[in-house]
Amino acid sequence: MKKAIQLDPSDNVATLLVDAVKGDEIEIISTNNQVIDVVTCLQAITFGNKVALTDIADQQLITKASYPVGVAIMTIPRGELAHVQNVRSQRLDIPDNIIEEIIKQMRIEQA
Amino acid sequence: MMSTFMGFGRSDGSVGIRNHVLIMAVDECCDGIARAIADSIDNGIVVTNYNTCMYGGNEEMINTMIHTGNNPNVAGVLVLAMGCGSIDPEIVAAPIRVSGRPAFSLVCMKQQGTRATINQGKELAQQLQQAANAAPRVETPISELIIGVKCGGSDTSSGIASNPSVGRAVDKLVDMGATAIAGELIELVGCETILRQRAVSVEVADKLERLIHQEEARWHVDGAEVETMSIGNSVGGLTTLEEKSFGALSKTGTRPIQGVLQINHLVHEKPTTPGFYLSEATHLCGSAGMHFAALGAHLILWTTGGAGFNNPIVPVIRVSGNQYLLNEDIDIDASGIMRAEEGVESVAERIVAKVGSVAQGQQTNIEEVGYSYCSLYQKDQRLETVLRFKPGC
Repeated sequence: MKKAIQLDPSDNVATLLVDAVKGDEIEIISTNNQVIDVVTCLQAITFGNKVALTDIADQQLITKASYPVGVAIMTIPRGELAHVQNVRSQRLDIPDNIIEEIIKQMRIEQA
Repeated sequence: MMSTFMGFGRSDGSVGIRNHVLIMAVDECCDGIARAIADSIDNGIVVTNYNTCMYGGNEEMINTMIHTGNNPNVAGVLVLAMGCGSIDPEIVAAPIRVSGRPAFSLVCMKQQGTRATINQGKELAQQLQQAANAAPRVETPISELIIGVKCGGSDTSSGIASNPSVGRAVDKLVDMGATAIAGELIELVGCETILRQRAVSVEVADKLERLIHQEEARWHVDGAEVETMSIGNSVGGLTTLEEKSFGALSKTGTRPIQGVLQINHLVHEKPTTPGFYLSEATHLCGSAGMHFAALGAHLILWTTGGAGFNNPIVPVIRVSGNQYLLNEDIDIDASGIMRAEEGVESVAERIVAKVGSVAQGQQTNIEEVGYSYCSLYQKDQRLETVLRFKPGC
């Protein structure tokens, strides 16, 4: 089964270790390789990107490796890609035109 | 792992894991002389100032040269100058002698030229090698080690595999009583709140926030932007600048921050008690190696996607989690984490064991094979003045 790694038990996202497509069931593993959850991908998520492990509310923090890495700007359902289309920096935003370019290059699907 | 190593005892009480002789050129014009002398002995390493041959403005770099000469892995030093510049080689040699190490100096213009300087230098280098060979072997606990931590050539695998593994190894080594030092303050922009919580005191917290802010001001000048995050980073999965920073932070482990070691022309702060430290060691790889040498590090843990720098004074243990870029240069293969075949804890245990064996004398995969240049970075004193930064403020 395809896998994603949750870097800290408090995280609400996991990082894909392979490319996944919509409908794929993903095993969520801990840093010590234990399977802790299975999540169904609601859209294509490529290697190195993050899948939401819970329903994340608008304005809720995204937590990876126990650290706040950004804030949700809309509801992110469990199984969706958490990335530039629905998360913003708390420090220094990527310019809008660059975000559009990233979304285009990654062909991010509407979930 | 073995709890002790047989190190090389120094007069200042430190113990090295290597036994090098440094041939230092305080100006680039005597670099060739230095290399000819270093080639005549087994353990010679050349360190050359390629900045201007003036003293004014280069004081911070000269300070780094002095402290590099006092690294535990260094047995003795020969300092060379052409003689037409304004850096007296004794500015470097004299403070190294204070540590008890033999330190000689030669000025080419006083030695009847290049050939005569090389011949005289070879004799002095022989004396230094003999002194190195006579260094007493001292059984030393692993807890005496000072370990630099650095990343470079980072990719998606770094934040998942090599950085968390090194971070866990750093925690284990600190728990054993060792000292670890990270730098790259520019990579920690956005991590200030977390770092403050790890600081042992408000003074340390304030100092680290101030030094990160200063480093941000040096590198993020309006109208002269230096790249911080690329589209490639984002396509690879990094959503925000803080996510990138936290990925880099994870290699520092979780233990309390004992202090932030400043590097400037007045001070070159050293760890005072065991534990984890931040420092002003630069994010620029080659120069970071020399900063870690000057901070007194015995070896460096270096996380990467693939390849990277290799310092001749301070052995570099390379850790990579990218199975497509792994080659014989990588000491620790962390790619099992990316394939969900090995856990972080297991890789961290292998890293700690490797630290022990390299301290015992085992060479890293490319030690003595091909070294990076011993670059000597210093903050530009003109920029410091424009930004109104004063050392100690």
